[in-house]
Amino acid sequence: MIPLNEIKKMLLSQGYITDDAVAMSVFLSLQLNKPLLVEGPAGVGKTEIAKVMANALETDLIRLQCYEGLDATHALYEWNYQRQLLHIKLTENGSQSIDEKEKTIFSDSFLLKRPLLQAITHHKRPVLLIDEIDRSDEEFESFLLEVLSDWQITIPETGTIKATHIPQVILTGNRTRELSEALRRRCLYLYIDYPDYEKEWLIVKNKVPAIDLKLAEQITRFMQQLRSMKLEKTPGLSETLDWAMALASLHIDHLDKSIIEQTLGVILKDWNDTREVQLSLSELMEKTGIIPKLDMV
Amino acid sequence: MTLRRTSLSANIVQFCRYLRQNGFAVGVEEEAITLQALQFIPNIDPSVFRMALKATLCRSKDQAEQFETLFSNYWKQIEKAVDAKVKDESTAKKPSLPQQASYKSIKAWLHGNRNDETEETASYSFQENLSQKDFSAIPKEEVEELMQIIKALAKRLAAKKSHAYKFSHKINMPDLRQTLRKNLRRGGELMELAYRKPKRNRIKLLLLCDVSKSMELYTAFLIQFMYAFQQVYNRMETFTFGTSLERITPVLKENNFRNALGVLETEKNDWAGGTRIGASLESFVKSYSKKMLDSKTIVIILSDGWDTGDMGLLKKSMEFIQKRAKKIIWLNPLAGFTSYRPDVAGMKTAMPFIDVFASVHNVESLRRLNKWIQ
Repeated sequence: MIPLNEIKKMLLSQGYITDDAVAMSVFLSLQLNKPLLVEGPAGVGKTEIAKVMANALETDLIRLQCYEGLDATHALYEWNYQRQLLHIKLTENGSQSIDEKEKTIFSDSFLLKRPLLQAITHHKRPVLLIDEIDRSDEEFESFLLEVLSDWQITIPETGTIKATHIPQVILTGNRTRELSEALRRRCLYLYIDYPDYEKEWLIVKNKVPAIDLKLAEQITRFMQQLRSMKLEKTPGLSETLDWAMALASLHIDHLDKSIIEQTLGVILKDWNDTREVQLSLSELMEKTGIIPKLDMV
Repeated sequence: MTLRRTSLSANIVQFCRYLRQNGFAVGVEEEAITLQALQFIPNIDPSVFRMALKATLCRSKDQAEQFETLFSNYWKQIEKAVDAKVKDESTAKKPSLPQQASYKSIKAWLHGNRNDETEETASYSFQENLSQKDFSAIPKEEVEELMQIIKALAKRLAAKKSHAYKFSHKINMPDLRQTLRKNLRRGGELMELAYRKPKRNRIKLLLLCDVSKSMELYTAFLIQFMYAFQQVYNRMETFTFGTSLERITPVLKENNFRNALGVLETEKNDWAGGTRIGASLESFVKSYSKKMLDSKTIVIILSDGWDTGDMGLLKKSMEFIQKRAKKIIWLNPLAGFTSYRPDVAGMKTAMPFIDVFASVHNVESLRRLNKWIQ
């Protein structure tokens, strides 16, 4: 088993800069074999944890993206009805008995495996990412609960499939809906907030190596300031990185008003926000110390 | 140094009990997991220890936030208690500790006063008398309990309502009738399949809540109630108005009900000018109606109709909304009284444009509201 301080190094070597709380949760989730429920605002790297973890454990990542109305057909399995029909049609004049025919059309090759079934039949212990679980309906949540505790799936036509390996599960949520207590109790819980200045700066520097150090500093400070404003859609870490990358590829080494105005669309995705920030841009820049006082006159 | 007679595991169990007292749902299972988790951690330094407990015992963001304070409070108090026992109990009055309620409760509890625990784990029962009471007549201590009742009721009703999405464990079945129809022209050869599709609830809700002093309490309860329906409806928008209109949907979306109530609090402060329903509705019409009003939207207005503003504005806005919305439900807590007649000018003006006029003065009436919003 991997010791605690190795986990942090492991995450770090994958380019995931993290704090001790994240490392601890990942560590315990691995040790105790429990799903990890990660909540937090958009764009702080919740999904990234699963990706990095799969990489670090050298295994595959299987992802189930949740949405309203997600059902078993899309989460578990489905029979390939068209193919079954075609098969029946093609073998109509064959000599197979009905029993044999039935066996063929309800065999593996006619089964469309969806993420959950894929995860439990995988040849190696995979990381199963159940993304944005709070978007699914409550009914799906309780169904998921059943799968997460039994690790087996029953297909009426063929029988019960037991998990070959119990996957490492990571669930993420945006808190658009309160998750059930039952699901919470089955998981370890981790809340990731927007990174503080130090952490964000480190991440920018790491992920965008080509960036000018002063620019990285300015970007980070600007973003930190931006998040303290009351916005419709507060930009996350991924917006910071997008912005840093955009500016770095433009070979810009410091922020000024016109550059910010031109590239605001990278970090703000709401029209009202954009307008509001444009209006208070000078103040914002002053607060972040981007404009030296001399220029103000 | 003090000698600790209590073992680590006993301490953990005690700490869990303390968390329970503070509203954490920590069971035996969690205690076991925590102890198990601690085995994996070789050198226990305080911060690692705290983090491990946090990772295993917290279940939500609120809990994660509370945890730090609870943790340090608890261990501080433990140290003190152990200290006091070993030293001497005759020590004269110590400088008094911070008189926080939470601090006191640990103290009381550590000194063997345990009968609180049965109280705090007792489940909330649906108390008949509480559900009949007018909201404004409810003493402050019972507000929290009532909130729980409303929450539970709303959850139940919302679950019923989401039948339309009914999730079945069975795999999607082809729709036989549709399939046959589709394939008729192929002479009944089944090639193209039609599947049963779940029904969708296309209705959107729009809440406009009066937060003037007289309405504040009703609004808090209504929002708590409607809150559970967020998933049921295609979209739900919530606005508050006193002297001006404010959209609080994002705060509610964050699922932080306390924050949302905080918004109501601040709104209350600029109440001095009185309620201006007409102006508030107009500003809604101006900035939001295009995006949010359509024939699938039910508009719910919660207000007692005491408008100190322009009646013409109210009439115009109401007319505009009624034309575009599916229906307007006006909730007036006063309507619960049998002797009530809508005599207030604002109410009189709005009346012709209202489809449903009902009261929301107690839990019962919230339950009745349910049938109007589908």
